Amino acid sequence: MNDRQKDLFQKFAALASLLGLTLVFAFVSDAFLSLGNGMTVALQVTSIAYLGIGATCVIITGGIDLSVGAILALSGVVSALAVKGGAPVPLGMLAGLLVGALCGAINGLAITWLRLPPFIATLGMMLVARGVALQITDAKAIGGLGDSFAELGNGSLWRVVKVGADGFPDVSFPGIPYPVLLMVVLAVAVAVLLNRTTLGRHLYAIGSNSEAARLSGVHVRGVTLFAYVLSGALAGLTGCVLASRLVTAQPSEGLMYELDAIAAAVIGGTSLSGGVGTISGTVIGAFVIGILRNGLNMGGVSAFTQQIVIGLVILLTVWIDQMRHRR
Amino acid sequence: MLVKWLDHQTVDEAGADASPLLRLSGITKRFLTVTALQDVSFDLRRGEVHALCGENGAGKSTLMKILSGQLLPDAGEIVFKGRPVRFASTPQAQTAGIAMIHQELNLVPHLSVAENIFLAREPKRGPFIDRQRLHADTQRCLARLGVDIEPGAIVRTLSVAQRQMVEIAKALSVRAEVLIMDEPTSSLTEAETERLFEVIGELKRAGVALVYISHRLDEMARIVDRVTVLRDGRHVSTDDFAATTVDEVVVRMVGRALDDKFPPATRVPSRDVLLSVQNLARRGVFEDVSFELRRGEILGFSGLMGAGRTEVARAVFGADLPDAGTVRLGERELQIRSPRDAIAHGIAYLSEDRKGHGLALNMTVAQNVSLANMAGVANGLGFIRFAQEASVAQRYVDSLAIRTPSTRQVVRLLSGGNQQKVVVAKWLFRDSHVLFFDEPTRGIDVGAKYAIYKLLDELAAQGIGVVLISSELPEILGMTDRVAVFHAGRVRAVLDTRHTNSEEIMQHASGRLAASAT
Repeated sequence: MNDRQKDLFQKFAALASLLGLTLVFAFVSDAFLSLGNGMTVALQVTSIAYLGIGATCVIITGGIDLSVGAILALSGVVSALAVKGGAPVPLGMLAGLLVGALCGAINGLAITWLRLPPFIATLGMMLVARGVALQITDAKAIGGLGDSFAELGNGSLWRVVKVGADGFPDVSFPGIPYPVLLMVVLAVAVAVLLNRTTLGRHLYAIGSNSEAARLSGVHVRGVTLFAYVLSGALAGLTGCVLASRLVTAQPSEGLMYELDAIAAAVIGGTSLSGGVGTISGTVIGAFVIGILRNGLNMGGVSAFTQQIVIGLVILLTVWIDQMRHRR
Repeated sequence: MLVKWLDHQTVDEAGADASPLLRLSGITKRFLTVTALQDVSFDLRRGEVHALCGENGAGKSTLMKILSGQLLPDAGEIVFKGRPVRFASTPQAQTAGIAMIHQELNLVPHLSVAENIFLAREPKRGPFIDRQRLHADTQRCLARLGVDIEPGAIVRTLSVAQRQMVEIAKALSVRAEVLIMDEPTSSLTEAETERLFEVIGELKRAGVALVYISHRLDEMARIVDRVTVLRDGRHVSTDDFAATTVDEVVVRMVGRALDDKFPPATRVPSRDVLLSVQNLARRGVFEDVSFELRRGEILGFSGLMGAGRTEVARAVFGADLPDAGTVRLGERELQIRSPRDAIAHGIAYLSEDRKGHGLALNMTVAQNVSLANMAGVANGLGFIRFAQEASVAQRYVDSLAIRTPSTRQVVRLLSGGNQQKVVVAKWLFRDSHVLFFDEPTRGIDVGAKYAIYKLLDELAAQGIGVVLISSELPEILGMTDRVAVFHAGRVRAVLDTRHTNSEEIMQHASGRLAASAT
């Protein structure tokens, strides 16, 4: 097999396991394969996908970002506090997004200028961001944010509602939820960035051989910084979307989400040693995790067993990936 | 106890024991559809150095991997000390007495010499490592080789030559009777090579059988007893080295006669100075380095390992920043703070460490070619034009005769010579007019070397200034127009290649002649 075929095989393997899971769960539970549940899964997957897209870019450079779970909590509470303080909703959310990007920038600077290992730099940020989120909220959830705050997380496009003969509204098409729409737009945009632009090529080059990239004139520090800023900004966005969906910002939101994000990327074939990874793979990985959770839930499997299953799935897919690269 | 064997296995100096210690016969190995070895036979006597020659891909490494237990043959037999054997793993082969020293040395850099030599075989007292015995045993191993290395020294701090000695000591500490050396001199200085040959001589006298793989055929004459040539996975010949010549060996390796080692010069060096470096210094590394590079010439950088040649090139290129000195391109003084600056001015540096510093090995030929000049294959918004990128790569694949199935081939899968050409293509596409080549032919086949030499000449003929950093004097004498000789971080002399010889260069390189310049 040449690398192209291998790549297809890997993608196909992930996709096949995704379809396999869907089939199994459809068989076990009648409610699984309904439009409503499909939307639920898609909604649940969005946050893993946003974070996974950022994680993919970071991991392609050979780095890792452990801070996204904490950053999304901080961004969520910042936007909520801003809105509570009287800012218009879009501005409040922009503030949340910028806080995320700022945290990412600090990560990136610590890695490129202070030359800290990415694991350590983002571990530090994970603790700091979580601490700040708890501090500024006094560890309390912020609720009562109003309908316009809820729009991003709960609204949808092309929702068709007819008023029935009995006078009650009848939802004939639930529409495409904004978070799902956002996921598609982001995935396409970042995939184009990675595959079709010089910036994307430089990300791969750094992960493949950063010294060769530097000696070829690639702006290694700048490009690396970009990957962490993107990851931070996407975490900020995730924080806003999650807070909007619950119409509540919780400083304890997003615990361990960074691990879901990394898992999604890895299941999708991104190599932790850098230089390899695709957005399509990561999105498939996010759906594998999402469908596993949802299906196991509907099948009445306990949360503890779910963890065991997901853990085993990660081990299995990474093992397959390793086998693929062994010669 | 670990080194006692050296005493009772000594054979007489007159010659090697005639009955083979080891015999491989009818070895065949296939990888999927590729036949790497076809019915190859090879034997080894006690106390001999048996050279194994062949171009890259001839099957040398596959054969040695089979011998050292890294691969199992599909067919054929290995008879060691009169008994058929089958090694399923490296430890098995080692226990039997067959050890291999790889080109990329396999030591743990953060552990000490002693800890490396006895890794996974540490002498113990109860559950704890017996440090005293560990050091004493190590001391004895090293003393037997006549090398002066501290058992407690951390491997990371040792030179490549010292690390190699540690590898040899390690192999001997497992009582190896067969020692396979893959390109042992490729990164050694002349003096270190000399020392290695002495050690090899001692090992021979102690009855150790050595398989010696090297591209440097000239130096083999000093130590090799017999030579076996492989070509395209088949056995071509086995001769006493005394009964053949290096030229004959080369002809058998490439399957055709090589008329000349160096191509005739087509370049005409001009008088105008392209690059002028003055009083360049980097504290503790080199000082007061000045030289001029003229349009269309090949300037050699000669000198011993560690004399500062690579370091000066890297400083001009901005990979490491100098503390003092000026770099002028034509009339203009350059401020180079990073490789990006140097590249923007058309200066390129091709590292001696192709895989570590030159190529993104997991990326394709096309992606590597465009890496230094993405703007050349992208539109204003930074979107890559793939068709253009592919055609650019194809152009260089054709003009440099890069042997690759397609421009989408991953660079890792190309041979050393072709990888080198991909690096050259990268810099040509960037429109570089000053090229520093650092040991461009290291680890490259004889046939491919000629192609690289021809390329250097053609580049210079186009008006490019070429700096050739090389540790091989014949290469310097055969390929350059002028040569700057480095010693201890200084340029000792700039000589006209036509009017000098290897003795004069060595005199300057070893610091025995006073500085002079032409």
